[in-house]
Amino acid sequence: MKRIAINIGSGYVPGLDAVVAGAAIAAQNAGLEIVGIRDGYDGLLVPDRYPDGGLLELVPRSLDAAGSRGSVLGTAARQDPFRVRTVTADGAVEEVDRSDDLLGRLAQCGIEAMISVVGGSAITGLHALSVAFKLQRKGLATVCVPKSVENEIAGVPLAFGYNSVLAHVTETLDRIRVGARDAGRLAVVEVPGQHAGWLALQSGMATLADAVLIPEIAYDVASIAAALDARERAGRPPALVVVAEGARSRDGMHGVAAAADPMRSSLAPNADPALGEGERVIDRTGAVAHAVATAIQRATDREVMPMSVGLLARGGAPTALDRQLGLAYGAAAVRALNGGESGVLVAFQPPDVRSVPLAEALNRVRGVPAGSELMNVARALGIAFGD
Amino acid sequence: MSLHTEQAAKLTGRVLNIQHFCTNDGPGIRTTVFLKGCSLRCKWCCNPESIHPKPELAYDLKKCIGEKECGLCLKECPETAIYVAEADGKVRVNWDLCTNCGKCVPACPSNALYEFGQAMTVDEVLAEVEQDAAFYTQSGGGITLSGGECTLQPDFSAALLEEAHRRGISTAIETAGNVPWEYFVKVVQHADTVLHDHKLTDPERHKQWVGVDNVRIKANFKRAYEAFPDKAFIARTPVIPGVNDVEEHIRAVLAFIRPHPNVVDYQLLPYHRYGESKYGFLGRVYALKDFPSLPDETLKRLQAIVDDAFGRAPSGQAK
Repeated sequence: MKRIAINIGSGYVPGLDAVVAGAAIAAQNAGLEIVGIRDGYDGLLVPDRYPDGGLLELVPRSLDAAGSRGSVLGTAARQDPFRVRTVTADGAVEEVDRSDDLLGRLAQCGIEAMISVVGGSAITGLHALSVAFKLQRKGLATVCVPKSVENEIAGVPLAFGYNSVLAHVTETLDRIRVGARDAGRLAVVEVPGQHAGWLALQSGMATLADAVLIPEIAYDVASIAAALDARERAGRPPALVVVAEGARSRDGMHGVAAAADPMRSSLAPNADPALGEGERVIDRTGAVAHAVATAIQRATDREVMPMSVGLLARGGAPTALDRQLGLAYGAAAVRALNGGESGVLVAFQPPDVRSVPLAEALNRVRGVPAGSELMNVARALGIAFGD
Repeated sequence: MSLHTEQAAKLTGRVLNIQHFCTNDGPGIRTTVFLKGCSLRCKWCCNPESIHPKPELAYDLKKCIGEKECGLCLKECPETAIYVAEADGKVRVNWDLCTNCGKCVPACPSNALYEFGQAMTVDEVLAEVEQDAAFYTQSGGGITLSGGECTLQPDFSAALLEEAHRRGISTAIETAGNVPWEYFVKVVQHADTVLHDHKLTDPERHKQWVGVDNVRIKANFKRAYEAFPDKAFIARTPVIPGVNDVEEHIRAVLAFIRPHPNVVDYQLLPYHRYGESKYGFLGRVYALKDFPSLPDETLKRLQAIVDDAFGRAPSGQAK
């Protein structure tokens, strides 16, 4: 093996160039050439978009600022090689499987193996992991580096980027709490976490939130209200409720009635029963915070302040831990490829970096186990989960 | 029935669904037949399961019995695209791995796994449509072909509408017009009412938001207005905040349609941002997530321009 490439699936997390630099340095030291593909596989699939070329030669000195920003490679991947949007000769838009074409182009460029940094996209979730799995099944030697804001990737106790996002969210929650307390209101803050509640739980613990609602535990508004009232009576007025995006109430979708006929609602999934037929609705970040805040206000007569951290969580500088982890993951991926491995994710399981088969990470979510000691500790700190 | 119509009645099309008692798809109470397959990719699409021409897997979590009691689908899937969620013991579909081969569908005893899109003959469709016949006479309704894009299946759609006419049912279509003229005219000629979309004026912006420019679409519409002076054309615009919620677009559409008296109305279809909703049943993400909401005032202002152009009193209330 002489030449390898690295790319990044969609979804920004801080400090991605630490992974790229780690791989570049380790590759050079192992006598391998390494190139970067811009924006996932878009650099090869849509070369017209890249007047300077869809590939980027990577030499360690070009990555001096490793880890302080995002990535020179870009995280704006929009094309799934298995479903590339194309306009046909007769003017229709169609999705075409161009995976064979992609594999051909990789071979043409002399690229014998791939390192793909995948997972953690707000838009597509673990989609890039599945794409890597399918390309690997078609014969492309692939080692994946896990990145995530939710830390939900199965088999990976710590995905790249999670620690930085946790730090940013915690800092933001601290600020919100001060403001909310001063205004005598209860802040209900939505944080990323569609599938797993790690971020809500750990940032909520760090800021001693009054309640934390996570996807793993269905919440009951009455139970949250009781916990907040108890807190008030104990002389500690509640100020902060942290809600994961994927939190769900025990009685369904935050008390919003679903359309009665599933076929009807699936035909017009954004049709709003309250507005009537033909009315469409647009999804938005912060909807869960609004629903929870309104329910709490109704149940407790406390003035609430719904907010959403959203994309703010992703920007900013990486933590020291993530810079170290990124360099380590990049180097570990090169070592795995050089050792003949393929179809695996590198996973930091201190003090080791292990290889987890992609098939084991696919189709699973690493959620917060309800009866875990971490949950017990959080309860001991007085955090309510609404259960 | 003539030999010709007998053959036509046996033509099959790819039907997504037949929906009864619709009030927004043309005059009166209508039965809307959604056909599968579309040649555009509007970012605000609200019928995403109608986009691809082939049958697609769909999954209703509520109907799944769970792995312990059943688990039959897991054995059928050749792509390991079906898996069990630890949280509830029920299955999920990894849509990135699913190839829509459909092998899991017959294995599912509770119909939690099912397919969007089935082949139906003209006769089969009309048998279902005719159940509502009583409502058509009372309300001035009838059958509406929607989609997807019904003119992408020109032979089937034409046969369906022609046969509906023969049975005394009034016909309408909803079309975006992005097909070759031969397809378009074949279907339009059998429609009493043609609801057609003017999404964006500028060809480049049209391409950005819809996937292709609007040159052919506008040419088709203009040619149809001229070719069928006795048909009722109803222009429509899905009003998308920050995309086409501007006077310029509304006025450009009015300038395009007003010279043609057979374009009898121009309807604005508002998009609201509101609460919790889901686009995930096919494993897709709504591209307009986090778009701003369309203020009522904007819609009222745009509606007033339309009302004024049609010489009628302002509708007063925006939907």
